Amino acid sequence: MTQRSLWDLFITYVARSYPRILMLTWQHLYISGIALAITLVICIPLGIYLTRNEKLAPYVIGLANVFQTIPSLALLGFLIFVFGIGNDNAIAALVLYAMLPVIQNTYTGLRNVPPSLIQAARGMGMTERQILLKVQLPLARPVLIAGIRVATVWVIGTATLAAAIGGGGLGRLIFSGLASIRNEVILAGAIPATILALLADQCLKMLENYYSPETRAKRLARLGPLEPDKPWDSDQDETVLADETEENEEAASESPSDVDKTKGEDVS
Amino acid sequence: MVEFDAVSKVYEDGTRAVDALDLSIAKGEFAVLIGPSGCGKTTSLKMINRLEECTEGRILVDGKDIQDVDPVTLRRNIGYVVQDIALMPHLSVGENIATVPRLLGWKKAKIAGRVDELLAMAGLEPKKYRYRLPDQLSGGQKQRIGVLRALAADPDVILMDEPFGALDPLSRDKLQSELLEMQKAVQKTIVFVTHDMDEALKMADKVILMRRGRIEQMGSPEEIQENPASDFVRNFLGEDRLAQITPDMGIESLVQDPYLRVLATQKAAAVLDQMEDLNLDTAQVVDDKGKWVGMVVPRRAKALARDGGTIAKAVRKDRRLNIEEATISDAAAMLADMDLPVPVLDGRGHLLGIVDSSGIARLAIGRLCRKGGETR
Repeated sequence: MTQRSLWDLFITYVARSYPRILMLTWQHLYISGIALAITLVICIPLGIYLTRNEKLAPYVIGLANVFQTIPSLALLGFLIFVFGIGNDNAIAALVLYAMLPVIQNTYTGLRNVPPSLIQAARGMGMTERQILLKVQLPLARPVLIAGIRVATVWVIGTATLAAAIGGGGLGRLIFSGLASIRNEVILAGAIPATILALLADQCLKMLENYYSPETRAKRLARLGPLEPDKPWDSDQDETVLADETEENEEAASESPSDVDKTKGEDVS
Repeated sequence: MVEFDAVSKVYEDGTRAVDALDLSIAKGEFAVLIGPSGCGKTTSLKMINRLEECTEGRILVDGKDIQDVDPVTLRRNIGYVVQDIALMPHLSVGENIATVPRLLGWKKAKIAGRVDELLAMAGLEPKKYRYRLPDQLSGGQKQRIGVLRALAADPDVILMDEPFGALDPLSRDKLQSELLEMQKAVQKTIVFVTHDMDEALKMADKVILMRRGRIEQMGSPEEIQENPASDFVRNFLGEDRLAQITPDMGIESLVQDPYLRVLATQKAAAVLDQMEDLNLDTAQVVDDKGKWVGMVVPRRAKALARDGGTIAKAVRKDRRLNIEEATISDAAAMLADMDLPVPVLDGRGHLLGIVDSSGIARLAIGRLCRKGGETR
């Protein structure tokens, strides 16, 4: 048997089993996406709540910090007693793992909004809800999105461990590659996972740029006002930033999958 | 248009920030509330749009008791200009101006028309400035936008809380003149807070000079200048301030807000950070009731910050002035000894403000400007 280079082996492996790689990539995205969505739905409102109940903040953030420090494999192991084995367990562990940056950044971002702006907004007749949605959250957005970016990269990276407790995802390839000492299989799992994480991060970065006041002002100047012809009070206009980011989150996780699929095809 | 009927604001600790204030401001009148720091002028202003609630008496706006109006509705119908301008940095100039009209649910076309009209009125070309961000404007332009924002929904009453306080003298003078021109055209009822007597005399139809929550004197600028009701008024007017300075004069007119005021329970490290951010050498520490605890000494605070202690232990208490007893010569002696702000306390130990060398410099500058600037 002739010694073949790792590259050859990798290409051959990918060419032969790209349907499996794609399927696992999709699973990986699914696990990470659900975990992130749950994290955002829980943690952004929680962060907002904490700014209104300052006394609780150190305890909640401390608790999130504790989950953060438990080694992820051990956390997955503990959760077997609660969720059994499989994807649910993995998703729960990922949520616990990703909580800290989102809660903390929501909290800090909101707290850093200058009180004079809040007072001015109140003095002009904004309701507390409008102050949150139109002043505090938009101003906290850069910090908030930075937290979400950290959480996203962690979740996509850590999701590979789901395979260790019977879940799916690209971790399967990595673990089976490890077990059979086949580096090309490990690579076939690791490379797409890395690409996914980087792409998701880049998408969120672009999103943040898109919404930054500078680009937004330029866009407005070019296109004229894009704002809907609705008063801020009307019910339809209640676009919570949390929803916004989630949608974008989905968009972000969808687009890498598309890109990744085309990549897979290219390789094949 | 705006009436105060025996209005008091009493805090939980018993401080009477505003004491039985009776005041009537007619429609179209430009009323200026003026007085030293802590005299209750800003509190009185904020009670009109219920950012502060009055605890006794009642306030009528347009004949209606404001307690019967929903605060949000009330505020949307009263223009409000704040000291630190507070334009929303994430919104364009146009959107900032459009804030209240949007809250009121105006149609898009109407809002756009109104924004352009206001920008043109302030001499800012709409096409050029509509989509700028506040950060891309100069200080004077920002405050113009702040005023336009308050005018946007065409309210009858406009409140202005030291709107030009943060500007350099040149732009301040320019904006004052512009505001007067604008007022001639729009004839709003304006309640304006300042601590600058020149500004008050220039702008006001009616000057309301306050001291310790009460009205010391009220009248047209001419009346006040010709017949000051007391030494305090005379002192505050600053007529021949330099000539009149005697070593045993009170320090009331020198008192200004402390640059940084922190709670005794705050961590020393956090206070040091704040001081560093603001580039200050000192800070005043108060307890939760407003009672003065001491003045921060950075050297001791740094040692405490390493041990994670609260700021209360890093203060000195010996350097202070009592508003009722201290004279200008006392203040000057302390400042000559050490050029750091001196805290000023009232009889019950509450922090009123500080006196520093800039206050004494202001006395001199005020005098010199008046000499040279008779043309104003």
